[in-house]
Amino acid sequence: MSTFWNKSSFLFFSTFILALNLVGIVVHGQDEPKARKEKLTNEQTKFFESKIRPVLIRECYGCHSTKAKIKGGLWLDSREGVVVGGDSGAAVVPGNLNESLLWSAINYEDFKMPPGKKLSHDIISDFRQWIEMGAPDPRIENVAKVNTTITPNDILRGKQFWSFKKPAAPITPSITNTHWPRSKIDHFILSQLEQNKLTPNDDASATTLLRRLTFDLIGLPPTPEQIAWIEKNWNKDREKAITHIVDSLLSKPEFGERWGRHWLDVARYAESTGKELNLTFPNAWRYRDYVIDSFNEDKPYNRFVQEQLAGDLLPIKTEQQWAENLIATGFLAIGPKTLTEQNARQFKHDLVDEQIDVATRVMLGVSVACARCHDHKFDPIPQADYYAMAGIFNNMTTHYGTVSTLQNRRSSNLVILPIDDLNPFDEKVSPEELASLKSQLAQKAAELNDYRKQRQSARQGSDVKFSIADIARTSALVGSLKNKIQSCDNQGNPLTYAMAVQSVDRPTNSRLLLRGEFDKPAQYVERGLPQVLVTEQPNITATSSGRLELARWVGSEENPLTARVMVNRVWQHMFGRGIVQSTENFGSTGQPPSHPELLDHLAVEFMNNGWSVKKLVREIAISRTYCMDSSFKQTNFDVDPENKLFWRMAPRRLDAEALRDSILAMSGDLDSNRPRASRVAEFGPGTVRDGALFSTLGTSNSKISGGFSMRGRPGSMGSGANPSGMTIAKIDQQMNYRSVYLPVVRQALPRALEVFDFAESSMVVGVRETSNTPDQGLYFLNNEFVLSQSDAIARRIQQEKSSLTDQIKHAFLLVYGRRATSNELRAVERFYREFEVSRRSRLGRESTQKLSAVCQAILASAEFRYLN
Amino acid sequence: MKETNSALWTPSRRNMLKTISSGFGYLAFSSLANLVTGQEQQLNSSPLAPQEPHFPAKAKRVIFLCMRGGPSHVDTFDYKPELIKNHGKTGKFRGALLKSPWNFSQRGESGLWISDLFPELGKQADELCLLRGMHTDQPIHPRAMTQMHTGNAQFVRPSLGAWALYGLGTENDSMPGFISINPAPGTAQNHGSSFLPAIYQGTKLKNGGRGFSRRRGSSETIPDIKNPRFSKTQQKQQIDLIQKLNNEKLRREKEQPGIEGVIESYELAFRMQTSMPELVDLSGEAQETLDLYGVGERNSDQFGRQCLLARRLSESGVRFIEITHSNWDTHFNMEDKIPELCNQIDKPIAGLLTDLKRRGLLKDTLVVWAGEFGRTPYAQNGNGRDHNNKGYTTWMAGGGVKGGFSFGSTDEVGHEAVEGKCHIHDWHATMLYLLGLNHEQLTYRYAGRDFRLTDVYGNVLKEIMA
Repeated sequence: MSTFWNKSSFLFFSTFILALNLVGIVVHGQDEPKARKEKLTNEQTKFFESKIRPVLIRECYGCHSTKAKIKGGLWLDSREGVVVGGDSGAAVVPGNLNESLLWSAINYEDFKMPPGKKLSHDIISDFRQWIEMGAPDPRIENVAKVNTTITPNDILRGKQFWSFKKPAAPITPSITNTHWPRSKIDHFILSQLEQNKLTPNDDASATTLLRRLTFDLIGLPPTPEQIAWIEKNWNKDREKAITHIVDSLLSKPEFGERWGRHWLDVARYAESTGKELNLTFPNAWRYRDYVIDSFNEDKPYNRFVQEQLAGDLLPIKTEQQWAENLIATGFLAIGPKTLTEQNARQFKHDLVDEQIDVATRVMLGVSVACARCHDHKFDPIPQADYYAMAGIFNNMTTHYGTVSTLQNRRSSNLVILPIDDLNPFDEKVSPEELASLKSQLAQKAAELNDYRKQRQSARQGSDVKFSIADIARTSALVGSLKNKIQSCDNQGNPLTYAMAVQSVDRPTNSRLLLRGEFDKPAQYVERGLPQVLVTEQPNITATSSGRLELARWVGSEENPLTARVMVNRVWQHMFGRGIVQSTENFGSTGQPPSHPELLDHLAVEFMNNGWSVKKLVREIAISRTYCMDSSFKQTNFDVDPENKLFWRMAPRRLDAEALRDSILAMSGDLDSNRPRASRVAEFGPGTVRDGALFSTLGTSNSKISGGFSMRGRPGSMGSGANPSGMTIAKIDQQMNYRSVYLPVVRQALPRALEVFDFAESSMVVGVRETSNTPDQGLYFLNNEFVLSQSDAIARRIQQEKSSLTDQIKHAFLLVYGRRATSNELRAVERFYREFEVSRRSRLGRESTQKLSAVCQAILASAEFRYLN
Repeated sequence: MKETNSALWTPSRRNMLKTISSGFGYLAFSSLANLVTGQEQQLNSSPLAPQEPHFPAKAKRVIFLCMRGGPSHVDTFDYKPELIKNHGKTGKFRGALLKSPWNFSQRGESGLWISDLFPELGKQADELCLLRGMHTDQPIHPRAMTQMHTGNAQFVRPSLGAWALYGLGTENDSMPGFISINPAPGTAQNHGSSFLPAIYQGTKLKNGGRGFSRRRGSSETIPDIKNPRFSKTQQKQQIDLIQKLNNEKLRREKEQPGIEGVIESYELAFRMQTSMPELVDLSGEAQETLDLYGVGERNSDQFGRQCLLARRLSESGVRFIEITHSNWDTHFNMEDKIPELCNQIDKPIAGLLTDLKRRGLLKDTLVVWAGEFGRTPYAQNGNGRDHNNKGYTTWMAGGGVKGGFSFGSTDEVGHEAVEGKCHIHDWHATMLYLLGLNHEQLTYRYAGRDFRLTDVYGNVLKEIMA
């Protein structure tokens, strides 16, 4: 079985990291050909001209030249074409016969080239000699040079754009009403309000503020105990009460679950590839937990971003730390993937493009990926700057998993972690089972090969003795066998895998691609950073890809954007509106900041405080600005209807997770533990189709004999399971964990998340939508989860309070976090009297049923959904 | 540039609520936070309120018959005498040319050549506008499907239906404006709204075929459409309580579009609970109508029901309706498969056109028939055809296009579009034009840039306009 265990190419740091290279993403040798620099000897030139070129012309150019056809994306009439190769990879890797596809093709190993008649033994040995001597190739190639329309002057001018200049600590503005501010933030806000002749709103009431704080900081409603506490302490010393609440919330593990989820929105976190062939990522949850833990530890934010960009390259002290750093790079691996892409180079370019796009928008608030095809239209980012960054990301392999099948043309392997932290659902495989699996695999793989051969000959006209379905079935079976075999080592012990990136050994520069098309390469571009953003380029040595340098620069205080983008994001989550409204676009097409000095103040303080997110949240939370009430004031509204100047706290709608978690918390059903891994991990490798997970890439497992049963068999997932897969839509009803731990696969969401504008996990989402749709109405009126939780809340309040009035008041307190008004009480009491239910029902006593209907109505009302 | 939903903090909208409606009967939704970075904002309309088109147009709605898998054009709507003559020759192709095993005849007064596999649809030839010069970028199914729906195979982009709804709003305040019947598994993004607000996304009607009409208000058609517990009276009482609490909040807080949005969403949800199950219930249709669509016949029952449902939805004012029919991927054994597939859709589509016409709906309903690409004129596996994105045929009918008309052509054997070429971007631009929308003006600002369905491409086929 050694063919499936290609250890050598990815063996990394002794035995710790073993990645399985089943099909292998070929990293093309895109280096500037050595011959460019080292002059060929006369002998080398002569060898090529006499032994190689004539054969290429005679045997290959017919189908593989830029003058004729470019079959399989391969052209051999230039040095470039030979080294870059075609859809399947480099035709020739100088000095390396094994990796040269041309060599295996002329030997009729995989490809059979030239088709029809194998080359003579002598010619083949000429090619061996040529490749072994480093494939000297004197053919002069005219490298197109794409010129930029962006001049050095444009770039110099561009550096003057507000967000590209380093933030400096601003002077605190003077104000008239010196009694109002509690913190520096308030000075900046009040100053602008006064300039516009606006007055800030009054302070929010104790219960309003408490509810705002618990939702903003930990995503959960206040408990009756917390409400009682703040009411008691509010009038004694208001500031002290606020500080106390804020500090206690910041220390809760729920803080990381709330704020980690915000990060997962921009990191487009998901547990499947998305796109047409949607395969699961059973190890993505490690990245999710890493993010949550980082926010809970209050890991310095600059360190946090560096780990995600280059965790694999950072120095380490312990293996634990090393594992954590590797998991962090999952950030670069979890994006959506077009696994059906037939062209390996197109796929690699798209992969790098997605990585550049997400890294620059999320961490820097600029969109460099715009310059893939042409100079950036608005910001001074020449196309070459994109390829300077592409060079950095190109010298990296992205390990996202998924095995190769008929449909999956772009499989990948995973990285094995240096620590033992198993996916808890992996089981030990006995040596006998393992042997049996491997022999099945060998047999099925041979069958598949047979099918393919038959199919090829069928193209020439002979009959077909099997159907496409046969191939698909066998291919899926091979995939599931590979998955199972890969889950453990040679002794059958499960292995700890993670999604991550790794650097390649010999970094190379990338070529600029004309109009971004991979078959139109132009000049080489030195690896580097966008000129307009740096004062000087980092020193990227020949042995470094530049990724570590990139990470260090992103996390440095010299960077004009990193701190600003993050403080703005935190502000946005606490006010519903960023100081810069376009949270991922700080470029010239973005919105200018409403309070530039405040933004800089926050950014500078953030860096001075060791990039502590918790300190930043704390500073904002105790400001008077944050503690204002949300009431409507016509005079202010007339001047500033959009509340750009923050004259009030804007009312905000709770997000999907807060709504679901609250309902569970109020009924007492919430399980506040973190589940081990995720449902997707539990299910194992699979396909997402039509809203359900299917194991073993979509075919029945029954065909696999030999002693193991796959996960996710029918019925194993409770009532939500459909006959052959696990339905995603109802998963939220089967687990009472916090919503951040619900499975997030692309294109299929649990109902509770889908209905309330959950982040689209294929995109960077800095600000979620907040729609009001009839679907949400239907959800609160009819959904089983809402109904059963209303029952649970009704039972709880019946247990805790005896009189009907007290029970109703208690319901309001739980759901609204405040006391009911007399109008509200009257409306509910009247409903209670008039609402008729059957005396005897499986739903419980008459009073419970009625109370449940009341609780449901309160949950369904706008007040629960909105934060004031 | 068109900007919606960004101006919900403005008093004008609130005034409108007061003036237009005494109750909550008018349709409006709101979105509190969004990143629309507008300059000039359109202030006073809800995102789903009916909008004026850019210019007057005949088509008011679309029924898109999506033929998944890539129907063979040379066996259906692209008659190729030269292919018959050159049968068996290989020429420049990978396989031997394969003539269509079926005859073509000239149908209707217009004399359009249509395969005999469509005896019923052929009778409607004078309604059809064949686009025989289609081509697209993607040679594989999923990507071509995505490009057909969103214009772009690489990135997640809004669906054609979402754009249409964004541009025109909806006319029925009891129904979603974009409905996709029986979409293929794994194609959610093809009916999604992407960066457009979520209210423009397609509402899926699953199954929508066999059996769906037999259970009134089947819970499978749309999630949470039916309350498992309360009677209608009980639920009305409960909604009254919810709305009392909401109005109480609105009264207290004066200006809060979010609350208004919630109030409106309950009104529509409540109406949908009634209207949706009624619309999907075909039991009130006359036997003659059922027969017209081939409902009850073994082969055409499912698609017939879906076409009939599409008519009911279009009648009720739904803006964009899509039906997916599978699976046209005939790599081998096409002698058996293609006749069966054609038989499944022949009567239902002919019935749909007839029914729309006699109800006066065809003139303002654009019916579109298309697969994601066509198939090769040469053989694969002896008795099949491979994918062909270089040339194929789609057609339109009703809604302002010329009937009995053929536009564009492939080369003599049907391999590549050569005349009147229509790329997917052109096709999209044309459809929007028929709806009265200028594809270059129908834009949405996202991430600092104005996006269009047609990106930077698209030419309107003015030649096909009636």
